[in-house]
Amino acid sequence: MLAMNKFRILGASVMVVAATVMISSCDNKRSTGWEYAPNMYRHLAPDADQENKVFADGKTAQLPPDGTTPVGFARFDYAKNRDGYDLAAAEVKSILPQSKENFEEGKVLYMHFCSPCHGETGQGDGLVVQHGYGAPPSYSKGNSSRTGGSMKDLNDGQIYHTITYGLNSMGSYASQLSPEERWKVIMYVHHLQTL
Amino acid sequence: MRSISLILKQFSRSVLLIAGLAMMGSAAHAQGDAAKGKGIFTTSCASCHKLDKNGIGPALGPIVTSDTNDKWLTSWIHNSQALVAAGDPKAVAIYKQYNETPMPPFPQYSDADVADVLAYIRTGYAELQKPDNAQPPVVEEKGPSTMMVLGLALVVVLAFVIILVLNRVVGSLEKLVSKKDGTYTEQDELAAEVVKAERKAKVMALVMNKKFVFFVALVGFIVSFIWMWIALWRTNVHQGYQPVQPIKYSHELHAGVMKIDCQYCHSGAYKSKNASIPSLNVCMNCHNAVKTESPEIHKIYDALGYDPEKRTYDASKARPIQWVRIHNLPDLVYFNHSQHVKVGKIICQDCHGPVQTMKEVYQYSPLTMKWCIQCHRRTEVNTKGNAYYDKMFAVHEMIKKGEKVTAAAMGGLECGKCHY
Repeated sequence: MLAMNKFRILGASVMVVAATVMISSCDNKRSTGWEYAPNMYRHLAPDADQENKVFADGKTAQLPPDGTTPVGFARFDYAKNRDGYDLAAAEVKSILPQSKENFEEGKVLYMHFCSPCHGETGQGDGLVVQHGYGAPPSYSKGNSSRTGGSMKDLNDGQIYHTITYGLNSMGSYASQLSPEERWKVIMYVHHLQTL
Repeated sequence: MRSISLILKQFSRSVLLIAGLAMMGSAAHAQGDAAKGKGIFTTSCASCHKLDKNGIGPALGPIVTSDTNDKWLTSWIHNSQALVAAGDPKAVAIYKQYNETPMPPFPQYSDADVADVLAYIRTGYAELQKPDNAQPPVVEEKGPSTMMVLGLALVVVLAFVIILVLNRVVGSLEKLVSKKDGTYTEQDELAAEVVKAERKAKVMALVMNKKFVFFVALVGFIVSFIWMWIALWRTNVHQGYQPVQPIKYSHELHAGVMKIDCQYCHSGAYKSKNASIPSLNVCMNCHNAVKTESPEIHKIYDALGYDPEKRTYDASKARPIQWVRIHNLPDLVYFNHSQHVKVGKIICQDCHGPVQTMKEVYQYSPLTMKWCIQCHRRTEVNTKGNAYYDKMFAVHEMIKKGEKVTAAAMGGLECGKCHY
């Protein structure tokens, strides 16, 4: 009799434990759950992408004042129009040493930022294009550059102007690529122009 | 019968259409093969132009239909910038009207190719203008709302309550009827009371039974202990947290299907402490042209003060989108993305999990101190080609050789050592 009871008690305890584990594991994914001392977890100093009541527009990431240049940025004083494009084509040259490391980094950046549309070999056949986005021209074929010239002959200044300001369907990549990164990408694009 | 009439209707419509096209082709314009033109249009024109709506460039349907000067249109398509440069008044006017956005030249297409494209634009636009082809408004399917679910639950509960009440009423009515009939005697009533008393005695016996009470208390203790154990371990651990975001952005589509690299949007991960949430201009790199009808994309437009019809921005209407932060490290922890991603060469998925398969992002890792420490214990550091470690090793070598090591050799002359 006692032995039976023991078994029963044991069985009941196991079931209770299992039920508790199951019930407590169904927590609400929309909630962060219990927080102890939240003042240690919620930042007092806002991150760049967080709300900030100090500024009128509520954003922490404020634009630099007009006419200033952020540290590590080179100025690019060419207008966002055809005249600026032609001027950049004539005057702007890459500031980077044409080293292998820069080329390799340019390749990685190209794959991450450009290949979704321009394709891994620069033929304008990236995955996004295959899903219905308008195809950009190939870097190595055709004469559909902005001036009507050959795509192969696009030079440093022209490509830099296009990355900085965008052209037609392509938006500006100035917020995603720093000037140095743009020059690295251009090194790789020059390679793709020869394909 | 209905299907036959439908087929007949379709057939007659296509005959009419073909006849109409043939007439149009022979009447006003040079012959062009619309089917061939469609192919060229999709590969070369569709990235900027649509037939009936403004894209990067203007809607072509109305323009090309009203403009019958095919010779001029052809030279514009071959090289619009040359026309502008030559001072052609019409070309200059258009160039100015569209904010001096240059249309790339297409010298690779022959006059016949251009005629095909023009034919396609005219016929395609005419077809779109027919009232039958107007697309029916898309009715969005919505799942059951929370109100509906709650209402249903309420109805079920109410039904149960009503059944219980009715049961009671039926019971007492039966009692009344039998009392009136005289079939209900005092003996029956006594028997009923005895049954009640017996029940009460049984319950009391259980409550007074020490073994039973001990068992209940033990179970209660175990349950609350387990619950407390789990709850305490989970306090401040947000693993699995999946908040509702203001826009239904799918990482599965963008990073999984389209294979857009994480860095495309989170470009800060390689060069700053913050991986950075993309600003809306990154969305607009593609979404000024694709999925422009989607209500989710319109949330981006609204936040930017962007008018998709006129393609203009109104900064006074702009307001930031407030994404809900998922991964949050306490303020007492310094974590730097670039250190881990650029120098440590850790891939994003190591910590964030298979984001490329997530329709809705959730926190994959616990982000607890234990979790950090575990990885730091296991990870071997690649010191080669890292200037910081090169200097450190040089100092170690000096110490091994018994040379004098100054504070300056260990970077003691860097400004930030004192003036931080």
